[in-house]
Amino acid sequence: MPGTSPPSAAPPGITQSALQCPKCAGQSVFDPAEGGLTCQSCGYVRDLSHPDDADARVEYGYDPNAPEEEPATRPTELEHQCVTCGGRVIFTGQQLSEDCPYCEGSVVISQPVNGYDTMALIPFFTQERTAQGNAQRWAKSRVAAPSDLAEKVAPARVAGLYAPFWTFDSREAVSYWAKYTTGSGDNKRTHNVSGAMNISFDDLLVPASPHVTPLIRDGILHEFQPYKLRSYRAGYLAGFAAERHHMSVSEGLRSNRKDKDLLIRNRIKGHINRSRVHSIRYRTDTSGIHYRRILLPVWILHYTYRNKPYKIVVSGINGRTYGERPFSMWKLAGYSALISGAVIGFGLLWGAAGWL
Amino acid sequence: MDLVNAAPFMAALALFAISTGVGMIQVVKIIQIREAKHELKYGSAGFLRSVGGWSIVIIWFAAVWFLATIIGDWGATGDLAGAWARGQLRLRILLEILAALAESD
Repeated sequence: MPGTSPPSAAPPGITQSALQCPKCAGQSVFDPAEGGLTCQSCGYVRDLSHPDDADARVEYGYDPNAPEEEPATRPTELEHQCVTCGGRVIFTGQQLSEDCPYCEGSVVISQPVNGYDTMALIPFFTQERTAQGNAQRWAKSRVAAPSDLAEKVAPARVAGLYAPFWTFDSREAVSYWAKYTTGSGDNKRTHNVSGAMNISFDDLLVPASPHVTPLIRDGILHEFQPYKLRSYRAGYLAGFAAERHHMSVSEGLRSNRKDKDLLIRNRIKGHINRSRVHSIRYRTDTSGIHYRRILLPVWILHYTYRNKPYKIVVSGINGRTYGERPFSMWKLAGYSALISGAVIGFGLLWGAAGWL
Repeated sequence: MDLVNAAPFMAALALFAISTGVGMIQVVKIIQIREAKHELKYGSAGFLRSVGGWSIVIIWFAAVWFLATIIGDWGATGDLAGAWARGQLRLRILLEILAALAESD
């Protein structure tokens, strides 16, 4: 559903007073269980859905040959910057924490820098308790993890964060040249192959923050359902940290170049449909670029093991979990010894039997 | 057990120790591939990166197996030079297979 041009004005913001409960003037936060802005004092729930929510799915065209017209803006909220990783987050309503949700470093109030307005977001559906349980279970189920890993993860708590992402659509007219090998020994032959194919990328999710790696994205965001997008309203952010978009569209496309290259090469291999394909070269003519600047909800749990920081990330949409983990050297050695023993035993018998 | 008979046994033990040490990296790769297949989005860039490089695990298996066959032959015949010579054809076949697998990785 492409739009013509991105929103030129700041999205509808709400003031701090708008986060106050209309019944008791208490502070409200977004509650994933209720799906609305919920008063922390009296429990009154306000629905944040809006008739323009269907417009949240709109994608905006981008012409790489035309100058970008999207205006950068300064946030109306105070921006906090982490002194450790440099991550910039905003807290809508009260400041939730003095720790950075990305790395647990200290955050300090900083001069807001220019960024780009978010077009849409998917609100939190997964509750904190569920996310906490998922992160703990994920850590417990690791193969060859240190025995005390679960114990180290247990005291850590998840922090809710809206992380900036892009969705990109594009059509690629690909021409390729490659080689494949058949046979072996004297019959080994290398063949040249070339061809052309069209590839469509639809809603390719690209992290717009260096703090969310592509690997974590592929671990927690298996499917993207645009119908879950909502028009940006600051009320969804109340109770969570959020990072603004700081990259221009061309920077976003550049940051996705390596992933796209890998995906195109994989599609070319599939198109050639032969084994032992190598030396792939290709040229692509990209058209029909459309994008969205969105925020996606994640729960991040930090822990340290032997002074090394790790994080486990839980999708705020469906609770899917992925993260970073240490290995136990002793367990790795044990598995390696078992496999080595089996392979060596098989080899010794083979050699002793005098087989070829 | 005299020194000559003990040599293949000692060689097998040394191979076991070296393979165990070197194999720890391959075990990490096996675990990463397993986690990728279970937890990463199929066909995504992260998935492709995680499952790529699997041929290094096969090369480890093949190298350890090949050396073990030489030691097994040596232990059975007591002739190391003969065992090595008999292993040459096996090595050629193995290298062909490994080259084909590496191209598919």
